[in-house]
Amino acid sequence: MERVQISTKKLDLYYGSAHVLKDVTFDIYEKTVTAFIGPSGCGKSSYIRCINRMNDFIPSARVEGEIVIDGQNIYGPNVDVIDLRRNVGMVFQKPNPFPMSVYDNVAYGPRLHGVRGKEELDGIVKRSLMGAALWDEVKDKLSSPGTGLSGGQQQRLCIARAIATEPEILLMDEPTSALDPMSTARIEELIRDLKQSYTVVIVTHNMQQAARISDRTAFFLLGDLVEYDSTPKMFTSPEDKRTEDYITGRFG
Amino acid sequence: MEGINTRKRLEADLAELKRMVLRLGKMSEEAVVKAVWALKHQDAKVAQIVLDKDDDIDALTGALDSACMHFTARYQPLGEDLRTVTSVMHMAVDLERIGDYGGNIAKVAIALADTELIKPLIDIPRMVEVLSVMMDRTLFAFDIGDEDAAREIFAKDDELDDLEKQIMRELLILMMEDPKRIEQASQLLNVARTLERAGDHMTNVADRVLYILTGKTVKASEFRRPKER
Repeated sequence: MERVQISTKKLDLYYGSAHVLKDVTFDIYEKTVTAFIGPSGCGKSSYIRCINRMNDFIPSARVEGEIVIDGQNIYGPNVDVIDLRRNVGMVFQKPNPFPMSVYDNVAYGPRLHGVRGKEELDGIVKRSLMGAALWDEVKDKLSSPGTGLSGGQQQRLCIARAIATEPEILLMDEPTSALDPMSTARIEELIRDLKQSYTVVIVTHNMQQAARISDRTAFFLLGDLVEYDSTPKMFTSPEDKRTEDYITGRFG
Repeated sequence: MEGINTRKRLEADLAELKRMVLRLGKMSEEAVVKAVWALKHQDAKVAQIVLDKDDDIDALTGALDSACMHFTARYQPLGEDLRTVTSVMHMAVDLERIGDYGGNIAKVAIALADTELIKPLIDIPRMVEVLSVMMDRTLFAFDIGDEDAAREIFAKDDELDDLEKQIMRELLILMMEDPKRIEQASQLLNVARTLERAGDHMTNVADRVLYILTGKTVKASEFRRPKER
């Protein structure tokens, strides 16, 4: 039996008067890859930003309903948002390393959470870079700037940074859309490895990518979760006509 | 508007794949129908025409196979498009096999063209009539996307099975009466068996049509009479 990691119950999201997510209810399972697809503006990125409360930064954003992670409603009163974000790492569309060394990029999160010992930090940096399949390429240039790496390496550095705080959940918002095919392939391979240890939630515009790497796929349209099922089912015989029309390129 | 043009191109290529399937189906149907006609009328010339056309059927099958691969490489299809292109590849194999069966029957027709038939052929032409209806209906169902027409095929296959059994009983009696008839009778039995198999291939094609249309694999047995114990 798979264990539910993120349970979303009757979630509504508003940006001012715009109703961005409408009554979304579904479960994301532990140590699986879940892909979100849908046309631009359908709410998929807004949804994953709910999972680590990134929408808190938008003043007009209002959330109703619940997202329960490990038994706790993250929109409940006693939630430590800093701790939540430690547990829910995020990787963005464009690689965005901090303007500091490779080492410091990875050590940033753990330091923020109070890790000070050099040996401990060294261990975390090495483990995280190995986890992001970057260690062999950067082990001799840990002190050079992270921004000096290639695009694909920078994105893996961001993944290393995200897993350095040992989160359970990794959110990825179109992590390969700015990368060339080879770098994309490396990241995809990495995502498949990462699910051994993390619950991965990924937004992608590339349906073949969703088909390649995910276990389950969710299709959003105009703020509705239209269909959510196993990935092979979604891409061969979806139940909903709108899903069928979207994946065959009839709209979007 | 690029996305919409891509969809248009995809649909045009998909329509071409479907046309090729329909053409292959028609050629195979013609091969079987003509071969049985040649057998009944003991016309070796017509049988030879069937044999000569077998290369065209193989060539079209090969072309359809490459077209499916090109389509897949170009569009990386999903959903109904994916179901269609994978099903077309399966359907091509079944239809081409029926074309081969036409060739097999034509060979029997040539072998028996100059010998006296042990009985007038009635049920074998009946079988090919049923098969012909199955093929027409299945290809029609595929062409216009008609689920009900595809489901009708399964009951027709029962008719073919009945006719084959009847032919077998009749030929067995003829063989028992006179062992000299065994050689020809066993050739005719083979023809009946071949036509029965062709029916099975058509039910496979109908399965595929239903899969394209519904996304679900069907159990042919649901539409057929229960098997005898």
